[in-house]
Amino acid sequence: MKYSEIIKLNNELEGAINSPDYKIAILSNIMVHQSKEICEYSLRIESVNAKVLLGEYDNIVQDSAKFQDANAIVIFWDTYNFIDGFQYKAESLSNLEFENIVEKVETEIDLVLNNLKDSSLVLINKFSSLIFDQFSLSNSRINKLVLRLNVYLEEKCSSNVKIIDIDKVVSRLSIKSSIDLRYYYSSKTLYSIDFYKKYFEYIKPIFLSTTGKIKKALIFDCDNTLWKGILGEDGFDNIKIYCEIQHLIVHLAKKGVIICLCSKNNSQDVDNVLENHPDMILKDEHIVVKKVNWNDKVSNLRSIAQDLNIGLDSLVFIDDSSFEIELIKRELPAIQTFQVPRKEYEYGLMMREVSNLFYSLSQTKEDTQKVQIYKKQFQRSEEKEKIGNIEDYLESLCLLLIVHVDDLSQVSRIAQMTQKTNQFNLTTKRYTEKDIRNLIEDEFKTVISISVRDRYGDNGVTGLAILDSDKSAIDTLLLSCRVLGRNIEYKFMDVIIDCAKNKDLRVLNSQYIKTMKNQQVSDFYERCGFIKVDEVDNSSEYNLHLESYESKDIKYIRVENGK
Amino acid sequence: MENRIKKVMSDVFNIDIESINNNSSPDNIENWDSLKHMNLIVALEEEFGVEFDDNDIENLLNFQLINLTIKGFIDDN
Repeated sequence: MKYSEIIKLNNELEGAINSPDYKIAILSNIMVHQSKEICEYSLRIESVNAKVLLGEYDNIVQDSAKFQDANAIVIFWDTYNFIDGFQYKAESLSNLEFENIVEKVETEIDLVLNNLKDSSLVLINKFSSLIFDQFSLSNSRINKLVLRLNVYLEEKCSSNVKIIDIDKVVSRLSIKSSIDLRYYYSSKTLYSIDFYKKYFEYIKPIFLSTTGKIKKALIFDCDNTLWKGILGEDGFDNIKIYCEIQHLIVHLAKKGVIICLCSKNNSQDVDNVLENHPDMILKDEHIVVKKVNWNDKVSNLRSIAQDLNIGLDSLVFIDDSSFEIELIKRELPAIQTFQVPRKEYEYGLMMREVSNLFYSLSQTKEDTQKVQIYKKQFQRSEEKEKIGNIEDYLESLCLLLIVHVDDLSQVSRIAQMTQKTNQFNLTTKRYTEKDIRNLIEDEFKTVISISVRDRYGDNGVTGLAILDSDKSAIDTLLLSCRVLGRNIEYKFMDVIIDCAKNKDLRVLNSQYIKTMKNQQVSDFYERCGFIKVDEVDNSSEYNLHLESYESKDIKYIRVENGK
Repeated sequence: MENRIKKVMSDVFNIDIESINNNSSPDNIENWDSLKHMNLIVALEEEFGVEFDDNDIENLLNFQLINLTIKGFIDDN
C-alpha cells in the first residue's frame, strides 16, 4: 500500500477503534519520524489502538527515562551516529579515542536498560554496520565493534527486552531499497518508507502477543497442501508428502499451535494416510480437530472455531485452491488465509512466514501440553453427548481445583493468561511478567491462580483472580476457555470470597468492562449475588457484602491448596 | 495528474482536497513543515514512480512547482 494511503487510512482509523490506547515510544539517534504512521497503521488494522510517541532526535538515554511507562518502546540505535560522522571517522580514530566512544555507548546502554527495566516491552534493534560496511573485504573496526556491542547488549538485557535483528529486514529488501541517503547528511534520516513497512510487519507479532490478538490455530487443507496430488484421484501410493512443510507444522504443534485439518475428502482415506503412509511426518496425535468431509469450508471453519471455543480471528487457514481462499476471504474475513504458492519451491519460505504469526512472548509449559489438553477437551465434549445429563457428566469428571496464592513460579503463565484470555475475562486488563511480579510482591494485592484437574488429566494453570485489598476490589478475574462449562467459575468465586474474608474485608467491589468478546460474562457478578451499583458506557460496577454471599455449593468440585 | 498530486497532498497534510490550489505552499498550509515535506516527497515519488534529486526537493515548495517538475519527468519518458 502506498505511503499516502497509509497516512490517510491511519487518520481515519484514529478514534475509530474501541479499545484502550496502546502507546509505543520510538526512541532513536537518527530521524525516524516516517515510522509513526506506518507503525500505527500496521496495528490499527488489527484493532490495536496504537499511538506512536516519537522521542527527540538523539535523545535515547533521556527519552528512556521519559517514556518508560509506554506499552512498548522501540529503539533505533544507529551505529554510524554514535558520534557525528562515525561512518568515516571510525577507522582513523586513535585506539584511545575509539575506546572512549565504545565506553560511552556501553554506559548509555546500561543507562537505557536501567531506565527501562520495569517497562512492559522494549524492542532494541541489533547494532549493525551493514550499510557503510557492505563493500569492505576486511573485518573492519566498526564491524568488530558491532559484534562486541551486540554481545554486550544480549548479556545485559532482561526478559522484557527483545533484540530485533534489523539486518534481516534490510536483507529481505536489499540495502539499496532500505535506505534513502538523500536526507542523511542534512537531516539524519536513514530508512526508506519500504523499509518501515517491512520492519513493522516483521515485529508486529510481538506487539500482538501482548495485546491478546495472537493467532492460535493453523488449519490445513490436505490435497496439494500437506502433500502433492489428490488423494481421491491419484491414490494413496501416488501422493508425494511435503516433508519440509510437515516438519514445520509438527514443530508448531509442539510449541502449542493448534493444528487442524479442513479438507474435502473421504475421512477414512485421510485417516489412512495419517496412520499408514510411510512418509507422513504429521500424525493424528498432532492434530486437534479434523473436518474431513464434503461440507463447504465456511461451515467447517466456523465449526472448528466453535469446537475450540476461540474466535475466528485466531484462525489461520492454508489451502492450494484460489476458489476456497477467495471464498473464505469473502465470507469469513476475520480468518487470515494463505494460498500455497504455485511454485512448489517457494512453499517452505511461505510456511516460515506463517510460523512467525504464532510468535509468543514466552513459551510456557502449558503451551507444549496444549495439543493434549485440547484433544482431551474434545474427548470430553464427545462424552458430554453420550451422558446427556450435564450434572452427572460433571460429577463423573472428578474435578479438582488447586489454588495457588502469590506463586512466583507461575509469573509467566499468569501474564500470558492476562494477555491471551478474551472470553471469560471480566476486565480484560493485560499484564506483563514484570507487572505480575510487582503485583505478587505488593502486600495489598493477592494474585490467586488456579489449576484444574480432572480424571482425564491436568489442564494446568487456567484461572486467575487479582484481589486488591486496598480498594476492596477484584481487579482481574479470568478463566481460560478450555475449562469453561464446568461451573469452575462458581467454585472459584467461593475461593475468592474466602480469601477476601481472610483479609478482613467486609465488602467486595467488582467491575465488568465490556469488550467485543466477553459478552458471556456480562451478568456473571449478578449471577454470583453481587449488586449492580453503577453503569457507564461499557463498564458496570458491583458490590457485595461478604456476609450475605451465598455459595452455589457445588459438591462435585473439590478444592485443594497448592504447595 | 493535478488531481493525483492534490490527493497525495491532502492525504499527507490531512487537509481538504478542495483547499489546495496553485498557490498552496508552506506559507498557507499550516501542516507543511520540513518533516512533512519529506513525507510529501516520498509519497509523490511512490505515486508517480519518479525520484527527485536533492536540488529539486528543496525547491518543490509550492503546488505549481511540484506539478511542473513531475510533468517534466513524465514528458521526458
